[in-house]
Amino acid sequence: MAEITRQISETLARLRAARDVTVGGSLKEAVWSCGKTTLYHYLPLTAAKHARPVLISFALVNRPYVLDLQPDRSLVRRLLEAGLEVYLIDWGNPDDADRHIDLEEYIEQHLGGSVRHIRARHGGERLELLGVCQGGVLSLCYAALHGEDVANLITLTTPVDFHTPENLLSKWVRGLDTALLESCGNVPGELLNGLFLALMPLRLTQEKYVRLLTAHPDQRAVEDFVRMEKWIFDSPPQSATALAQFVRWFYQENRLMRDTLSIGGRRVSLSDIRQPLLNLYALEDHIVPASASAVLGERAGSRDYTGCAIATGHIGMYVSRAAGAEVPRRIISWLAERS
Amino acid sequence: METPRTGTSFKPEEAYAAAAERFFELMKTFGMAGGTSTDWKALAAPLATQFERWLQMSQAMTPWFSAATPGVFGGAGLGAPVAAAFSPLPLGPAAVSGTQPPHALELLGRLVRLQAELAKHWSEIAGTAAQRFVARLGAAHAAPATPQQALQLYEMWVNCAEEAYAATVHREDFSRLQAELANTSAALLAEQRRQAEALVSAFGLPTRNEVDALYAQVKDLRRELAELTRTPSATGASGSAEPGAARAQRGAKPKRAPRARPRGARRARGPKR
Repeated sequence: MAEITRQISETLARLRAARDVTVGGSLKEAVWSCGKTTLYHYLPLTAAKHARPVLISFALVNRPYVLDLQPDRSLVRRLLEAGLEVYLIDWGNPDDADRHIDLEEYIEQHLGGSVRHIRARHGGERLELLGVCQGGVLSLCYAALHGEDVANLITLTTPVDFHTPENLLSKWVRGLDTALLESCGNVPGELLNGLFLALMPLRLTQEKYVRLLTAHPDQRAVEDFVRMEKWIFDSPPQSATALAQFVRWFYQENRLMRDTLSIGGRRVSLSDIRQPLLNLYALEDHIVPASASAVLGERAGSRDYTGCAIATGHIGMYVSRAAGAEVPRRIISWLAERS
Repeated sequence: METPRTGTSFKPEEAYAAAAERFFELMKTFGMAGGTSTDWKALAAPLATQFERWLQMSQAMTPWFSAATPGVFGGAGLGAPVAAAFSPLPLGPAAVSGTQPPHALELLGRLVRLQAELAKHWSEIAGTAAQRFVARLGAAHAAPATPQQALQLYEMWVNCAEEAYAATVHREDFSRLQAELANTSAALLAEQRRQAEALVSAFGLPTRNEVDALYAQVKDLRRELAELTRTPSATGASGSAEPGAARAQRGAKPKRAPRARPRGARRARGPKR
């Protein structure tokens, strides 16, 4: 007991020291913006080996820096090392002025504006679009509407069928009154984060600390842990309208699967996605169950579809050591085969 | 390097210390300190009580569950019970205290009823988790003597607890209750805001609707300005918003014509009330 008490005291001191740890090791520059959204271009680490730039569209509900958490846990860095030109959309912090931003605006103006800006910078070249989680849903919509902009589409932990039996989040929000939700204004990130943690409360809020307690980690391991914690608790607020639409159209009405989705009066059909498509999903995902993602292969119009299941969880796809090597390797090789 | 935008409330060492405290409490219940054999069947009741208490406390800290606490959609005051002492300002829960209209009181009453229903679920989950744990241990298991054994026991407990939790929270009645809690919280917040709007209006201060209309006007003016000042090279200009012409070519939805709108007119889409 005395030994454990000493270890706890040491870990506490290390946690205090790590509180101000920074994230995002790769150098980047802001190249375009629209409202609170900023498009970043990562500075290359090596000579370009791939003709087309890659645009990463992350979820609205989390910060994208988890893809570049630290040098040895960075999908962005692995892509840069492979000679890819990488851009990333940061949706920023919507405030009261943005409460009526809707999904059409995010897809057509923020994501679409980013695409058009990148194409203009690269002589009109089409790009590789990499959509992550909710950002993958936005990317699917964009690719279905503007296929001419996207050479290859990659989706990572992206839900398509929102009504699979394992989807607890979907069950919980199915009965939400979205009009009422929207009338309450922007939704703070803490609320959504609380919702995600409530999916597996003991495991997600207690067990990880107990593991830390018994592992007696050194300062570096504690800093790795704190970086993840910071990301988990650093959730941006959500535009009231966009979130209400997302809940209603996708979680409640499952419009992608039912082929009933329209954005800005234009029908969005997965069968209109014709470009080569790589779909990476996690087998132990508690937020986007594998079954919610895997169905994309049956629905997309692409003749060149590659589905890839990885044995990890939702966040593990971005930061775990195992997936951290496998995910970029698969993306890089898949793109190389199609360059 | 970036500095994350986590609030000043982010203190991992405090979460860690709290988890450590709960871990030791659990180990004490397991009889670790004594190091003697434990009557595992007798353990079920205190274990269930501990877990139920934790569920109530932790879920109350989650805005999703906290329902009608002050500022539930504003990120403040999370976790205070409905019956918490009201602040002196006539906002938040105070706006629906004793002298408030019947609708707000009705909503508060509904929330209390729903939270009581939720408490029943926590009790059921905790009881099932404890029973599972005791059954899985079997009679012959000894109290943990080393940290490693304690961790193994803890892992088993977490598995049992999460299984029991999942079995309940996936059910339709629980999901319906969840949605009802969120909807009632939102309705109460909307009611509180309605009262606050009436109050600020009485003091001659701008209301939410008026501020929304101003935001919409500023947005339209910015868009119009971007269209007026666009140049052929603006498409690739660093740090600029997308030119309107480019957007129009892409078939983006037609926006309102700001110039045709009289000063002070409401935004076409309008704030939803």
